[in-house]
Amino acid sequence: MTMQTMLANPLASIVLMHADDLLMLGHVQSDWTGLAPILEEDIAASSMAQDDLSHALVLYQYLAEEFDLDPDAIAFDRDPADYRCCNLTTVPDEFDWAVSMCKRWLLSTYTKLGLDRLALVDEGDLGDRCARLRDESAIHVAHLGAWMIRLGTGSTESNERMQAALNLLAEEAGMMFEPPDLGFESDEGFCCGRGEMFDEWATLVGATLSEAGLQASFTLPDQAARGGRRGEHAGHFSEQHAEMTEVRRAEPATAW
Amino acid sequence: MVKLAEIEAALDRVPDPELPVSIVELGMVVSAALDGGTATIRLLPTYTGCPALPMIESDVITQISSIEGIERCHVVWAYEPAWTPDRISESGLDKLKAHGVTACCGGSTVTLTTSAIPCPYCGSDRTRLDSPFGPTRCRAIHFCEACRNQFEHMKPRG
Repeated sequence: MTMQTMLANPLASIVLMHADDLLMLGHVQSDWTGLAPILEEDIAASSMAQDDLSHALVLYQYLAEEFDLDPDAIAFDRDPADYRCCNLTTVPDEFDWAVSMCKRWLLSTYTKLGLDRLALVDEGDLGDRCARLRDESAIHVAHLGAWMIRLGTGSTESNERMQAALNLLAEEAGMMFEPPDLGFESDEGFCCGRGEMFDEWATLVGATLSEAGLQASFTLPDQAARGGRRGEHAGHFSEQHAEMTEVRRAEPATAW
Repeated sequence: MVKLAEIEAALDRVPDPELPVSIVELGMVVSAALDGGTATIRLLPTYTGCPALPMIESDVITQISSIEGIERCHVVWAYEPAWTPDRISESGLDKLKAHGVTACCGGSTVTLTTSAIPCPYCGSDRTRLDSPFGPTRCRAIHFCEACRNQFEHMKPRG
């Protein structure tokens, strides 16, 4: 088995999308450790980054067992174009807490729905793993959603900053639902039901935004949309990828 | 001839690195099997991102390998059934409570609103969730309005 066999497998591609989102988000978000505005949220944000990385690992370990690969090799040795993380994960937050908060909330809500679907379609090891991760992911969604409301309704300044963050992220948030390249024409019936998942996500997100006094509109990308899910990443991805893989490239046998 | 009871007793000697209970009391052990001289222990992580898991795995291997007649010990981390605080034994619950950690149900604790989990110090249910992200991945922080103590609560399934 090779990396290419894994990449050409439709179910593995869906798993990889989520694993790569979590790896990239966890990696970038850990930059905030020690810098978050209040201590409790510093701990919370670092804990969530730790969860994201460990969730990515649980998914890479599944793929590693299925395709006889090394989980670290899947995480760090692929060509940049073989990463399936969505555009949203690579938008830099420039250490703006509102952008970080919105990005994590939009993505966690999506990830939880995706894990829920994988837990339903697979009755074996993958489904068990995804059910476990989904339950932990639910804690992120609840916590971040409560903060969306707290900041959206907090003060004029906090509302404006959250609104500005949403305006910055809304378009790329829709691209989480970019059709992945699964090797066949339509993905509508496969695993996720892209349109149905988008509607469910938009309804959940919309309810919290309305309670938070914030507005955003999201669009389901059409079949021709191309971005991170198909390996066509924005410039920021290259920087993040280079930084993330630096130790591995310098010292491939490194272990903690 | 090694008996499964010896393996179970050895597992009960493996402590959680952060809490005054064994991994058996925490309900982390799903099964222990013996095939010739090879023991296979299936364990459940209390939380997938727990950095103590490699230490627990290594402690299990050390304890089990010290039993006469056992040549090898494998640890398998399992996700089915999912670990929940319901798996903690009575003695485990008592020890945790004495340590200031609760693990009862008490409904959903994943919101930032009142959670009404009985305080381990004064028993009041005038408590609220401070943060779902406590000192370790498996514990949330709650606050008691009655005795004004903070306490920790083992997270339920989200």
